[in-house]
Amino acid sequence: MQTKFQLIHVFFKQTAYLDPGTGSLLIQLLLAGLLGIGVAIRIYWKKIKKLFGGKEKGEEYSDPTEIEDEEDEF
Amino acid sequence: MYHNITGSFRDPSGFLFTKDGILYRQINQKYQENYDRLIESGLYERLSKAGAMISHEEVDLDAAPIPDIKYKIIKPKIVDFISYPYEWCFSQLKEASILTLAIARRALDYDMTLKDASAYNVQFKEGKAVFIDTLSFEIYQEGTPWIAYRQFCQHFLAPLSLMVYQDIKLNQLLRTNIDGIPLDLASKLLPLKTRLNFGILTHIHLHAKSQQRFADKALKGPIADAKVNKQAILGLIESLISTVKKLKVKKFDTEWNNYYQITNYSSESFEAKKDIIHSFLSVANPNSVWDLGANTGEFSRIAGERGIKTIAFDIDHGAVEKNYRHMKGNQEENILPLVMDLTNPSPSLGWHHSERNSLINRGPVDLALALALVHHLAIGNNVPLNSIAAFFSDLCEFLIIEFVPKIDSQVELLLSSREDIFPNYTINGFEVAFKNYFTIVEKKLVANSKRTLYLMKKIGS
Repeated sequence: MQTKFQLIHVFFKQTAYLDPGTGSLLIQLLLAGLLGIGVAIRIYWKKIKKLFGGKEKGEEYSDPTEIEDEEDEF
Repeated sequence: MYHNITGSFRDPSGFLFTKDGILYRQINQKYQENYDRLIESGLYERLSKAGAMISHEEVDLDAAPIPDIKYKIIKPKIVDFISYPYEWCFSQLKEASILTLAIARRALDYDMTLKDASAYNVQFKEGKAVFIDTLSFEIYQEGTPWIAYRQFCQHFLAPLSLMVYQDIKLNQLLRTNIDGIPLDLASKLLPLKTRLNFGILTHIHLHAKSQQRFADKALKGPIADAKVNKQAILGLIESLISTVKKLKVKKFDTEWNNYYQITNYSSESFEAKKDIIHSFLSVANPNSVWDLGANTGEFSRIAGERGIKTIAFDIDHGAVEKNYRHMKGNQEENILPLVMDLTNPSPSLGWHHSERNSLINRGPVDLALALALVHHLAIGNNVPLNSIAAFFSDLCEFLIIEFVPKIDSQVELLLSSREDIFPNYTINGFEVAFKNYFTIVEKKLVANSKRTLYLMKKIGS
């Protein structure tokens, strides 16, 4: 089985020209793990809100990668 | 004849060059798989159609600069004026950072990842931020972290937080730190209360601590076996988006951004001045204008509304911020407000002094506007008139310049607290100095004021 270390090692060796820094990687592992759970909760929360007819607040910044005729939320 | 663009040497995926004055990008074989995925997945089409990324066309050049490693040559759309993050106001840096994060997030939908998050990969074109580095995308490999996380924090989150919580002028730290503000420095400079902001606490303070703790250490033990799944990366990016979105500068009234309200211009002379500028612009007919000391862009708009690409430089961050918000509110495409101290303009920076260009190297411009500026340079900063004329002759072909005499109340104010050591600061001395470099094409007195406007043309142009 390929371990994380091997994966990171292989990945950086092959492609990375930026050095991401060990400390930056570790904090990212930690935060991403926690925040990923947050994303899952938010997705379900949005669904629940929609179910009850809740509306999104108007945003000052819309998603700049959005194509105009689409209605995705940022 | 090929000419390499030296700012693009770091990435082995390809490089920029010009041939016969046209900008191209060579894509190297090393990047082939990633480039093909960018195009075939539809990510490129999506981003360029949304106006988030610069579009390009693939071209057949007879010979590439380094043919043995070449995969393709592309010709990207041109950005009229390359600006740098240390020249942007707060809202520009914020817009650029949201663009970068939105692209990073969108790329994941297409199984790609944004491999760098440099603020220099964003430029302003036709009134909005646009991503310019076509080679920043790589095929996403499940389990791998977001490699540009640190760079994003250094280039965007650190300066934005410092501007909000400490001082709006702190984006100037980007000038001395070409790869963004080191997080330990940002963490030290940020006030204690930012530790109560979850985003700043984690992405800057704890991030800096982690860097310090693990400096020069290799990954080992159970943590090295952990994988980051895509949803976790998405969580990280969303957290950054929400942190950046919440950063707001509320109070930015500074010395200059109320200038027009407090100055003693009569509305009649203000309108007269505008009419003269209109008529001078008709004579010179420039394609590009730099308004030097533009304040909130009142006069830059005269050029902008005529369809001329206009950069509105001002030393005052608040004035530039106000100008930018005005420009965004009215969806003006021809005005680009930037922060610039003319007494110490942006230098050439980085490796070999050639990664970032100085202001002069990004010129010359067809026409420069120097309105209510000369007295600040000559009296406020002790620059001899001859030297001011020489500087302008390096910047532009045509010059619209206003002479403000000593009897004007604004100059009286400048001289009120100091000895008058400027015997040559007269209209005659001004003309003599400028005639060394320019021909005076037209000269008009501004009605109801003591000021004179000149249209000049550089000698030999």
